Amino acid sequence: MSFFFTALAAFFLLLMLFLFVWQSLPVWRQSGLAYVTGESWYFRQQEFGALAMIYGTLVVSLLALLLAAPVGIGAALFTAEILPRRWRLPVKAAVELLAGVPSVVYGLLGILFLRNWVYDGLQYLDLLSGDTLLTAGILLALMILPTVMTLSDDALRTVPAAQGRAARGLGLTRAETAIWVSLAQSWRGMVSALLLALGRVLGETIAVFLVVGRRDNALPESWLSLRPLVEAGQTLTSKLGGSEINIAYGDPLHWAAMVGLALLLLIVVAGITWLGNILMRRKEGESYASLH
Amino acid sequence: MRRCIDRLFVLATAACLLFALGVISFIVGVIVWRGFGALSWQFLTDQIRSAGAAGGIFYNIVGTLILLATALIVCVPLATGLALMHGVYLKKQRSRERLWLFLSVLNGVPSILFGLFGLMVFVKFFAWGKSWLAGGVLLGLMILPTVAVALLERIKTLPRPYIEAAAGLGLSDSQRVWSVVLPQSVGGLVTGLLLGLARAAGETAPIMFTATIFAGANIPTGIKESPVLSLPYHIFVLAQDSFDPAAAENLWGSALVLLGLVLLLSLLALPARLNFHEEAEK
Repeated sequence: MSFFFTALAAFFLLLMLFLFVWQSLPVWRQSGLAYVTGESWYFRQQEFGALAMIYGTLVVSLLALLLAAPVGIGAALFTAEILPRRWRLPVKAAVELLAGVPSVVYGLLGILFLRNWVYDGLQYLDLLSGDTLLTAGILLALMILPTVMTLSDDALRTVPAAQGRAARGLGLTRAETAIWVSLAQSWRGMVSALLLALGRVLGETIAVFLVVGRRDNALPESWLSLRPLVEAGQTLTSKLGGSEINIAYGDPLHWAAMVGLALLLLIVVAGITWLGNILMRRKEGESYASLH
Repeated sequence: MRRCIDRLFVLATAACLLFALGVISFIVGVIVWRGFGALSWQFLTDQIRSAGAAGGIFYNIVGTLILLATALIVCVPLATGLALMHGVYLKKQRSRERLWLFLSVLNGVPSILFGLFGLMVFVKFFAWGKSWLAGGVLLGLMILPTVAVALLERIKTLPRPYIEAAAGLGLSDSQRVWSVVLPQSVGGLVTGLLLGLARAAGETAPIMFTATIFAGANIPTGIKESPVLSLPYHIFVLAQDSFDPAAAENLWGSALVLLGLVLLLSLLALPARLNFHEEAEK
């Protein structure tokens, strides 16, 4: 029985991979690698280049991670190292609970508050609207903050308490203990927590969809330009979540181009998960932290 | 100097924590504050009217519960199978690591990809159209890693004497599973299911192409072409194109109900979860 159910679950994942590869074949055959590097996506002209969406996904995800990681790790350092024990539990409980707030709720708050704040706050930049890559990045950062916090806290607490006490006994301050003992020993867990968060941000659809603006072919003139941050853009997931998927179904090439986006996403996220797994395995065998 | 840095460190990390807690309270506070006004007995028991501007969300709640129940039924045997495979049947460390990698990858698959997969397989290939069954199956597969891992963690912490006693009696693997492992670790399964369902309840991406519509469905009577309404999709649609104040009121009410459902499920799972974290410390 167990063998059968395990095989069934494995079959499902393989089938998903197989379907995505198979259904996206036409676009690979037509464009090859130009599908990934192509700058324009005009489905009426049968022109499919995914670069703008890859760019959007990367910008939004890195922004979210850059904003959430310092705050999340900082907060975890406080809960794990400094907060008295009797406060720890309620804080941990609140954070754990809130890590599960549905993304559509974040999306709703993004639409009703965040995009107005971004629009009003950055008025001197002449924004066209509050739906920007920056808005999506901030919203995602807020969304993964509880996850980053609680996983970093778990990682910090895998360091035996006796080592912290020994370090304090040797005359190290709290800051020095936290950094040179706890962080130094748990960095693998931290990185793995961040990779997990990255995987989640890359694949998040609903919250991004609602605030990113969904403008096709939004590529900057120069790669280092920060201007696209405050303009509308498109990510892999917001494209897949839109109504274009229904238009695409009748046309093999267009459909293949859409499925190709899914394939890219699946490969990247699976790669990141695999990396996180390797990091954790070397040190402490199987860890709960790699699955949240 | 070192003192100074130490103080600064404590202050900075405390600020991080306060900021995070502030965000959390803001989110919950806003939803409760704005949503509370919309809540009424009528809102919970009436069907949707005038595109969400009037009426209530009865069938949305029912639809979400139908999806959750289906996900539960799909998930239990699969998750149990995977956990037992890992905890009991696989004897080699290497194969266990492979299974773990598989669970992690499945856990990482973005939810929109489940939706796309469902669109290809259930909606188009099986020609079901939008169906509650497709949505339930997809949600069940999506939460599979969460549930399997929760059960697995419990199996791994079973007291050794139990296992040894079973082995001493000469029980086979299957006898051991039915008489010792499963009865002793069923709590892990329950915790995992609560956590998984809390996640599934709020997911929009896997069901929006495969199982749920905005209006015009009630209790499904078959499989083909039998969509349901759902809470997250309701919020998703209203959030996009509603400038009608009456609809906004309903929107906040629905968000509060959804948040309440999700938090209730996670709250029930919380004691076991915190226990696990606290034990890890020792």
